[in-house]
Amino acid sequence: MKHRLGLTRRPRPRLVLLAALAAILLTVTPLFAGIATTKHNLSVSGPGTTKAVAETQTCVFCHAPHNTSPAAPLWNRSNPGGNYTPYSSSTSLSHPGQPTGASLICLSCHDGTIALGDVLSRGSRIGMAAGVTTMPAGNSNLGTDLSNDHPVSFAYTSNLATARGELANPATLTGRVKLDASGQLQCTSCHDPHDDSNGKFLVVPNQASALCQTCHLKNYWGASDHKLSAKTWNGAGTNPWPHTNLTTVAANACENCHRPHLAGGKEGLQNYAAEENNCYTCHNGNVAAKNIQSEFTSKISIHPVATNTGVHSLAESAVVQTRHVECADCHNPHAVNAATGTLSGSLAGVRGVNSGGNEVKPATFEYQICFRCHADSSGQPAPRTARKIVQSNTRLEFATTNPSFHPIEGPGKSTKVPSLIAPLTTASTIKCSDCHNNNAGPGAGGTGPAGPHGSTNPALLERPYATGAPTAGDICYKCHSQSVVTREPPHNRTEHLRYGCKACHDPHGISSTQGTAQYNSRLINLSTTDNKPVGTGAAAKLYVDTVARTCYLNCHGESHSGRSY
Amino acid sequence: MKSLKRVVGWLLRSLLMLAMGPTLAATITGSAHDFTASAWSGGRICVACHAPHKTDTTIADAPLWNHTSSAATYTLYSSPTLKATISQPGGGSKLCLSCHDGTIAVNSFGGVTGTTMISPANNIGTNLKASHPIGFTYDTALATANGSLFDPASKTVTIGSGTQTKTGTVNAMLLYGNKMECGSCHDVHNTFTVGALGTGLVKVDPAGSKICLSCHNK
Repeated sequence: MKHRLGLTRRPRPRLVLLAALAAILLTVTPLFAGIATTKHNLSVSGPGTTKAVAETQTCVFCHAPHNTSPAAPLWNRSNPGGNYTPYSSSTSLSHPGQPTGASLICLSCHDGTIALGDVLSRGSRIGMAAGVTTMPAGNSNLGTDLSNDHPVSFAYTSNLATARGELANPATLTGRVKLDASGQLQCTSCHDPHDDSNGKFLVVPNQASALCQTCHLKNYWGASDHKLSAKTWNGAGTNPWPHTNLTTVAANACENCHRPHLAGGKEGLQNYAAEENNCYTCHNGNVAAKNIQSEFTSKISIHPVATNTGVHSLAESAVVQTRHVECADCHNPHAVNAATGTLSGSLAGVRGVNSGGNEVKPATFEYQICFRCHADSSGQPAPRTARKIVQSNTRLEFATTNPSFHPIEGPGKSTKVPSLIAPLTTASTIKCSDCHNNNAGPGAGGTGPAGPHGSTNPALLERPYATGAPTAGDICYKCHSQSVVTREPPHNRTEHLRYGCKACHDPHGISSTQGTAQYNSRLINLSTTDNKPVGTGAAAKLYVDTVARTCYLNCHGESHSGRSY
Repeated sequence: MKSLKRVVGWLLRSLLMLAMGPTLAATITGSAHDFTASAWSGGRICVACHAPHKTDTTIADAPLWNHTSSAATYTLYSSPTLKATISQPGGGSKLCLSCHDGTIAVNSFGGVTGTTMISPANNIGTNLKASHPIGFTYDTALATANGSLFDPASKTVTIGSGTQTKTGTVNAMLLYGNKMECGSCHDVHNTFTVGALGTGLVKVDPAGSKICLSCHNK
C-alpha cells in the first residue's frame, strides 16, 4: 500500500538488521530477567561470587525431573535433617519446632552443612568457583542455630493471631505473603527463591517494612515517630542501618531495631544483644537530634540501662520483680511520638502500675511507669536520707490519702502554700520528672535531652538537693520561691536551712499507715542524721507538732523542747 | 514486514546453531534406544517397541505396537501449589513406562515374556511422585493459574540440534493433545534431540537449564 503511494522507501537493510536485533533482545529478555540474574543462579553464568566453575544448568542446583526428594517441588538436594535450635521467646505462643517443608529444603543450602554442588542427580559434586563447597559465611549462611532468625514452620492460625495480639488474621494473607498448604509460615512466606526483583528475594519490597507489617500490626505504630521520622544518618559513628540500603528512619521502620535473620538480640530479633545498643545506634546524636547515649555514659546518676543484658523480658509482670532497667521499660519504641501533655509522647504505649498497685496498660500518667520499679518491687535501695519514718515504696509515699505528699497523683493536702511559683497553685499536680530529670535538659534551662536518663546530681535530680544551706539553684526552689520560703518562719532563721530542706521535709510524702496529720503534715518526716531526740530513753521526743506548731528537736546545737514556731 | 521476519528467523537460527555448537543431529542408531548390542534383540533396533505384523491393535498412541503393556497403578505427582490436574499416565507416556516403570522386562515383546529388566539408573519405578508430572493439560489457562509458566500457545521453542531442528510454539513442539507427556522432554527416536549419547534423549539443551526454562518462566 505504502509502496503504491510512493510515500516510503524500502527499509534499508542495516535498519532492518538493527530492528531485528532489538526484536530478538526483546523476545529473549524475559528468559533472562528471572532467576538467571539473581544469586540463585549458581551456574557458571550466575552474577554472584558463589557460582559453579563450569556447570551451565541453573535449575539443577535445586531441581531435577526425576528421582527427586522431597518429590514436591522436585527437589534435587539431600535433606539436611539437622538438629536445629528453633526460635524461642518468653512470649512465644507459636512454639516453632524443627523446620519442615519449604523451610527445610531452603536450609539444604542455607544452614551451611551441605555442599552447594551436592545434588541428587549427579554422581559427583558440582565444582564451585574459588573452592567454595558449603555456603560461605555471611548473611546467607544461617547455620543450624535458628534462634536468631524469624521463626518458621509454625502454624499461623487465627487463634494464634488473637492470643498473641498485634498479628494479622492469617485469612487476610491473600497477597504475595502466603502460608504453605498446611497453614504454616515458611521461608517462602517472605522469600521467593526465583524472583529477586525486590532484593533479598523478598516477595514484596520492605520499604517502610511493608513486608513485616503484612503480619505484624503493632499497636500505636501509625502515629509513632519511628514510623514517621524522615531523619537520616549524619555519617558519623556506626551505620545505624547496616543490613538495609534504606536511608531514613521511616524507610527502615522495623529494621531500625530488628532484623529477621542473624539478630544480635535473639528474643525479639533485635539488631544488638545489648538492648540499649539498639537505641544508641540512632540516639547518639547521629540520627536523632539529641544524644541520649551520652546521658548514660557521662553522668554519675543514671538509670543504668547498660548494667544488665537479657534480664528485661517481654513477659515480665507490670510490677518488676527483678529490678533492672532497659530503655524499653519506660519507652515503647512502636509508640513513641512527639505528643506533649499529661503523658509525654515519649512514654506512650507503656505499661504502668496505678495508685492501687495494679497494672495499667497503657500508662496514662508518668508516675505509673516509675511505680513499676520504684514502688512495690523488692530490692529497693535504702532511702538516701535516714528518716524517722522509713518508706521506700513511692506508691505509698504519694498516695492522696496520706497526711502529706507532693502532688503527683493528685493535688496536695495543704490549701496554703504561699511559696508556690505561678502558674503552680495548691490545685496543681506535678510529675516525677519535674524533679528527677536531666541536669542539662530543658527543665533546667539547658539544651540537652529531656527525661531522667542521667544527671550530674545524685538521685537523678534535675537540680542540686542541698545537704547544706540551699542555694538559689536548689531543686526545691524550682517551684517554691526562695524569697517567700526564707521570709516565713521557721525558715527565716538561717539555722533552720543549715542542713537543707531535707532535714525536716520528706520530699515524696509520708504514707497514711505510718504518718499522722499532727506530726506529718507539710511533708514533715525528720532526718535522723540531722536531728537528735530531745531527752533520752522512754522520754525521748523527736517530732514537730504541725497542729500545735511546736518543735521537739535537738538540732544545730540547740534542744528546742517544745518551742513554738 | 516479510523481509524483517526472514531476517529475524535467520538470525535466530544462526544464534541457535552457534549455541548448539558442532553437535550433529542424531538418529536412533547409536542412541540409548539402539538395542542392537543386546543379545535379546537379535541385532534389531525397533523390535522392542514395534513390529511389522501381529501388533497390539489396542494401542492408539503409537503405530504397530509390539511391547507388553504395564498394568501398574502409579503414584502420581502432587504438590500443594500444583494447579494442573494429574491423572494416571496414558498416551505415549504409558508406552514409555512399559519399560521404564521396571515392572515389565525390556525384552517382553511380540507376546514373549522376557527377563531383562531396565537398568536401575533408567528405572523410574511406579512412584511418579518423584518425577516431573506428566499427563496433564498445559494450556493458556494453566499458565495463567500457575503464574510462572509460559503460555504454550505463544511461547516458541526450538527442538533438536545441528541440521535437525524445528521451531514452533511449546504447544506444537512439546505437547501432545495439549498435554505434557514424557515425549515433551524426550524424543524416543532421537530425531530432534541435543544429540550426544548420555543426554537422556532430551529435545532441548539442558545447558543453562534451557529445557526447564522453555516452559517455566523463572
